[in-house]
Amino acid sequence: MVVTVTQEDFDINRLIEERKASDMGAFVSFIGIVRDDGIERMELEAHQEVAVEELEVIRDEAFAKFPIKSVDIIHRIGDLRIGDNIVLILVGAGHRREAFEGCEYIIERLKERVPIWKKEYTPDGERWVHGEHH
Amino acid sequence: MKIRVQSFARFREIFGSEQIMEMEEGATLAALLLEIGAGSPAARSALFDEDGILRKYIILMRNKKRVNREEIAAIILNDGDEIALYPPVAGG
Repeated sequence: MVVTVTQEDFDINRLIEERKASDMGAFVSFIGIVRDDGIERMELEAHQEVAVEELEVIRDEAFAKFPIKSVDIIHRIGDLRIGDNIVLILVGAGHRREAFEGCEYIIERLKERVPIWKKEYTPDGERWVHGEHH
Repeated sequence: MKIRVQSFARFREIFGSEQIMEMEEGATLAALLLEIGAGSPAARSALFDEDGILRKYIILMRNKKRVNREEIAAIILNDGDEIALYPPVAGG
């Protein structure tokens, strides 16, 4: 299982194939992508070391709360264009319910507390994206 | 003593990504923040409101652990401490 903050893109199909196990009946994924809000591109930055530690804590919390079997979290940083992948959360479980719940738990906690920031570049200039939790 | 201060995102543009602050022995985290804020009007306004209160949305890390803002006046810094300043996070 992977928890990483990286410039590299991800291949969700390959990851699912790698994670499949005989006791898993469900995978739920969340993929965040760059939306066109009148922007040309965005730059993501992280406090890398702390971000990875925080994601690992969130993963461990998800394992403690839900009977899930696998968690992968890949968050990208760097220069991204419209339609590019930003984040992947992939949760494998025996059944769909805990897979959905685990996946939602992870993305919501990620948005609250993992030190990652986005700057959007528009034709009129640049702006930092406001977090949802402040 | 020397304190390493790292700033991210909007704060990086104001304070620079890293600065080494020279503080007296026994200095508190609150004193360090005042010193950083004294650097320029933009720095002061980024950290403090009109009443001199540390802005609510700022996240402070000391040696990679989150600091409770109520405790900044009580936290005595040590030589080599690393302080990180975060604006509100916006990942995902």
